[in-house]
Amino acid sequence: MVEFELEGTEQYALESYQWLLQRILMDMGISTMVERVRLVIRPDQTLFIISMRIKQSGSKRPLYDIADTESQEGGTFITIKDESYAPRLLSNLWHKYGRERVQQLTRLEIFVEGAPVEEITDIRLDPEEEVRSQLLDAMWRLLPEGLKVRNEYFNDDVMTIVATEHGMTVDFIAEAQNVHRNMIKGPEED
Amino acid sequence: MYEVLMFDGGVHKVDELLDLIEDVGGFILQRTQIQVMITLTIAIPGEDRPLIEKKAAELGGKIIEVPLAGTEIAVIGPTLGRHHMPHPICDIAEHLRRYGAITIVMGLARGRGRKTCQISAAEKAIIEEYDAAIFMLGNFTECVTHEKIDLYKDIQIPVVTVIGPELESLPHCEALVCGVGRKVERMRRSEEIAKLEEIADRVKEVIDKRRVEIDEDPLFVHPSEIKDALEDMEAVQVCLRPAPIVLHVDGLRVKIPYKKHVKELEELEVYGHKLKDIAIISDCRLGDSTMIKIKTKAEVEGKVR
Repeated sequence: MVEFELEGTEQYALESYQWLLQRILMDMGISTMVERVRLVIRPDQTLFIISMRIKQSGSKRPLYDIADTESQEGGTFITIKDESYAPRLLSNLWHKYGRERVQQLTRLEIFVEGAPVEEITDIRLDPEEEVRSQLLDAMWRLLPEGLKVRNEYFNDDVMTIVATEHGMTVDFIAEAQNVHRNMIKGPEED
Repeated sequence: MYEVLMFDGGVHKVDELLDLIEDVGGFILQRTQIQVMITLTIAIPGEDRPLIEKKAAELGGKIIEVPLAGTEIAVIGPTLGRHHMPHPICDIAEHLRRYGAITIVMGLARGRGRKTCQISAAEKAIIEEYDAAIFMLGNFTECVTHEKIDLYKDIQIPVVTVIGPELESLPHCEALVCGVGRKVERMRRSEEIAKLEEIADRVKEVIDKRRVEIDEDPLFVHPSEIKDALEDMEAVQVCLRPAPIVLHVDGLRVKIPYKKHVKELEELEVYGHKLKDIAIISDCRLGDSTMIKIKTKAEVEGKVR
């Protein structure tokens, strides 16, 4: 369950944008990846701030979770079970062994030359990068279309966007940075 | 006064109904046949409705009220971006079609934002070619009440405004429906369908009011009578565009190029009058079409005498 904090001058706008974000996250299948959201909406000042804290996904996903491995003569044969991890696994293998040693035989089959199966099985994949890009997409979908002047702040767990229509003021930036800092600290330290 | 109704039934002996409609001086506006089922949108003199209903019952079909038949309505959003389309704008347009209206969906070029939102003269002129316009304006009270109302301020056709926040009234519009803001999914919950019904009701009221105004100084002929004459034109018969003739409350849109066919249209004979004498024929702002605005009885008879 995503925890929402709403602040603003119009109750309808706040509630409707909370509902919109919930539907967008659900539509994209990433509701479980968000821990906390703070929305600051002040239409009278044309200010829209959204800050989102990503849920810690725990440990990285081990390779045996997403693929079967088999030791063969001259290397290891990998059969991918979860296709959504295929691009990350491939780029990881390229990075580790070089492109010339990694052969993608079919969409879901990879052969790595000269790599022992134990070493391959030890690989762990980080889903965070993809989550971040999906959450950024959700935030862009939510932001009102007319608010084109935007500043973004992000670290590993928190992403904050401040948007306005004409000129970004120092006050807006300061408020967004404050929201961003508080979001990093977490609710108990607010 | 003509009434526009829809017959929904089978094809068996439907010729008897078609003959009866012709006998009472009515018209077939649209005919859709799917295998053995047929849907007819008809315009008949109001006093002959019991006759048509009796015949429809005899044939095992039914007569349905289509209060918005014979109208073309524009549903307008601030832009064509995914923030506004397809929901709820297309949902509204689709719902109005169930009541017989022909609807179009339009996005303004620069309608988004607060201080930066604007509407061009060309966009206004295009909107004014329709019978009524529905403006979808979003979730922020401050934005709607201060800036967005200027989008439709000068539009000369009835405007129904649809917004998210609950407001008592808004200036410059004929009707207001609150509680429909931005959506990211189809309006299919019962309360959302109730809102779509409310929008349709407001549009019906606005159109009825327009029809009553027209009846005070009635049109020289009903648009469907001109449609009947236009259907004999070769250009209309070979036109492949969907619904080549669209009825309006006070005229028609014919989807044939104005420049190429204006002479032929002007000379078209309707009840012994040339079309140019009983209607104003002009180029359409959108696509290769022609607009026909029917003059009132007073205008035509004053000129004839």
